[in-house]
Amino acid sequence: MEKSQLELLVALQDLDMMIEEISEVKRLGFSAEREEELRKAREELANKIKKPLVYSYEKLKKRYKRAIVPVGEDNTCLGCFIKLPTSLSSIGRTDAEVIYCEGCGRILYWLS
Amino acid sequence: MTNEELITYFDEQLFLPDLKATSKDELFEEIVDQFVKIKYLKNREILLDMLRRREQLGSTGIGKNVAIPHGRTTSASDVMIAFGKSKQGIEYNSVDNKPVNLVFMIIAPPQDENNIYLPILGKMVEILNKSKTRSKLMEAETYEEFIDIILKG
Ligand SMILES: [Zn+2]
Repeated sequence: MEKSQLELLVALQDLDMMIEEISEVKRLGFSAEREEELRKAREELANKIKKPLVYSYEKLKKRYKRAIVPVGEDNTCLGCFIKLPTSLSSIGRTDAEVIYCEGCGRILYWLS
Repeated sequence: MTNEELITYFDEQLFLPDLKATSKDELFEEIVDQFVKIKYLKNREILLDMLRRREQLGSTGIGKNVAIPHGRTTSASDVMIAFGKSKQGIEYNSVDNKPVNLVFMIIAPPQDENNIYLPILGKMVEILNKSKTRSKLMEAETYEEFIDIILKG
C-alpha cells in the first residue's frame, strides 16, 4: 500500500534520529560505516514528500529539535500538553493525514 | 546501567524462544508483528522501515551468532527489548558472515526518560560478548530462565 505523507514524515524523523546517533552507536562497537548511503536515502525519502511539508518539517525541527510529537492515550499533545479536540483523534489514529497541534504547531502522531 | 535495571525493559510477551524466520526480512516481520500484537505500536511498516534502514547503515549482526537490531522511532512510546531465538539459524549478513541464533531487538522513542537507550545498547553488547552467556541463552526455554541469565550475565 502507498504510504501516506504522514508516514513518510515519520520515517524521515526516524531516519534523522538515526543519523544523529551514528557516532554513539559506532562507539558501542556496532557497524555503521555506510553513513553516506543513509544520507542519500534520506534525500530520496524527502523527495517523496510534498515540498511545503518538508519545509514545515525542517522549520519545526530547527525550533523544537523534533518536528513530530506523540499524542498520548488521553488525547494530549505530548509536546505542549494541550488537550486536543476529540474529533481529531479518529482521523489522527489512522496515520492518513498530517495534523498540526493547535497549541505548539508541531506535527502530531497518535501512538495508539 | 545495572543488570537489574536492564531486565525491566524486557517483557514476557516479547520473549520468542522459537523463531520461525530463516531470513532477516522474515525475522523483522516476525518480531515486529509481535510488537503490534501486544499493542506496543500500531503501524508495523513504520518500524520495519526504520529497522531496514538501520541495516543499510551497517549490519546489526554483531558476530558470534548474535544480532541486535535497534533504533529510535517516533511511533514508540517506551524503550522495549524483544528477545528471539532460532535453533536453525537466520541468514543475516552479519559482520562475521555467520548465521544468527540470538536476537535482541531494541526499540526506543525519540526521547526516553534518563536517556537510557544508548546505555542499554552498550550493556547488551557487553553481556553478549561473553561466550558462556551466549551458550546459556541458547539453552533457555522459559522466560524465567532467560531473565535469570541476563541478571547474571
Ligand atoms: Zn502541542
